[in-house]
Amino acid sequence: MQKIYLKLLTVLLLLNLTGCGYNHFQSLDEEAKASWSEVLNQYQRRADLVPNLVNVVKGYAEHEKEVLTQVADARSKVGSMQVTADVLNDPEAFAKFQAAQGQLTSALSRLMAVSENYPNLKADQGFRDLQAQLEGTENRITVARNRYIETIKVYNVAVRSFPENLTAMMFGYKTKPSFTVENEKAISVAPTVDFSNKK
Amino acid sequence: MHSHLKISLAALCAMLIFASFNVCAELVAIPVLKTRVTDLTQTLTTEQQSQLEAKLTTFEQQKGSQIAVLIVPTTHPEDIAQYSIRVTDAWKLGRKKQDDGILILVAKNDHKMRIEVGRGLEGAIPDLYAKRIIAENIAPLFKQGDMAGGINAGVDKVIGLISGENLPPPPKQTGKHSADNSFQNLMMLFFVGSIVCARFLPRQLGRFFNAGATAIIMGVIFWFIAGTLGLAIFAGVMAFIFNMVMPWLFSYSGGVGQYTNGGGFGGGSGSSNDSFSGGGGGFSGGGASGDW
Repeated sequence: MQKIYLKLLTVLLLLNLTGCGYNHFQSLDEEAKASWSEVLNQYQRRADLVPNLVNVVKGYAEHEKEVLTQVADARSKVGSMQVTADVLNDPEAFAKFQAAQGQLTSALSRLMAVSENYPNLKADQGFRDLQAQLEGTENRITVARNRYIETIKVYNVAVRSFPENLTAMMFGYKTKPSFTVENEKAISVAPTVDFSNKK
Repeated sequence: MHSHLKISLAALCAMLIFASFNVCAELVAIPVLKTRVTDLTQTLTTEQQSQLEAKLTTFEQQKGSQIAVLIVPTTHPEDIAQYSIRVTDAWKLGRKKQDDGILILVAKNDHKMRIEVGRGLEGAIPDLYAKRIIAENIAPLFKQGDMAGGINAGVDKVIGLISGENLPPPPKQTGKHSADNSFQNLMMLFFVGSIVCARFLPRQLGRFFNAGATAIIMGVIFWFIAGTLGLAIFAGVMAFIFNMVMPWLFSYSGGVGQYTNGGGFGGGSGSSNDSFSGGGGGFSGGGASGDW
């Protein structure tokens, strides 16, 4: 008789621990969407800055055509993408989006590095203002991405762990893709320092 | 089965504790928020600190926005922006809906500083202005070694910018109690569900069985929605009691109106007089960093 009580207690405890949390899913899903919108929002903010930035740099550093074209190309690629919350359910589109934004990131950082060579450009108030704005926006992107990663982690764990995964299956909730480090290979290779052709 | 569960749980807890210690050992810890001015480097004299504190307190009483100053030796290995967002996430400066908090962070040995702007103040202090405050107001004084002067100049400038912003006035000292919305929804569901269930169950069951069946139905519904059996059982028991006394209730008073929930789930309401705490404001990485 006692054994039955013990079993009953165990079952009750287990059920109490887990439940099936339909509401939990609703809020997690909504949170994931909200944090994704924030990411998009901040990327958009950066894309809006690029044309002005390119114009200012052009005025001082006209013969840096290559870098300027790279930035403009990456910007138009980002701009031509149709990104909605549905991207979250499509890993391929997500990877594409990430690649396009990554390209713009590296093109912009090259542009900033090149601009170091032009003292007049660096002294220009308009350029300095844009630089501050770009810096702030890049930081916002980092924060938004980190928050997205955190939110998605909680969501994905919920989707995959028992028994909430049954509820997830029942209502068609799938795991959502997260950000990865873009230059994974570049980081794992130690940088080589070469002083040979230093002027 | 039971002991296995216990052992594995204990092991998991131990691992988690170990892991969290491990992480903390690498990054600079976030100090506990006790006062508006936190100086971990003994740079400011007690007098300077209390003066600055008084200024910030007066400003919060007038305008409602929370400004805090933090001076740390270093933020290494993190970038100052990364550390700063961790601090603001933990401190939650500013009011909850307004998100009007500001953190002025100085990493003394790194010669770096940052003004972290709350989400609601990004219009009053765009990144550009934050950058200019750092470069034009704070950095020149820091270069001369006048830390207190630099911080004061920065704070004055920030206060000036926020003063021009149209923010709701600070709340009166009486604590406001806003009832938790989802809790209210559950209460609503509970009462409506119980009454509807009791109505549609066959009369001939008798009051006792009727209430019992309602309790079971309510329990299942609550289990599905809230996800914990504890709450489900509680809801079931409450539904049973409620249905047992319902006829009596209806015959003596107008209805169930007297059961409206009076709150008690109040959110943290900013700051009190003795100790300072964040009001729940959010940050999303706005502001600017600089050096001197």
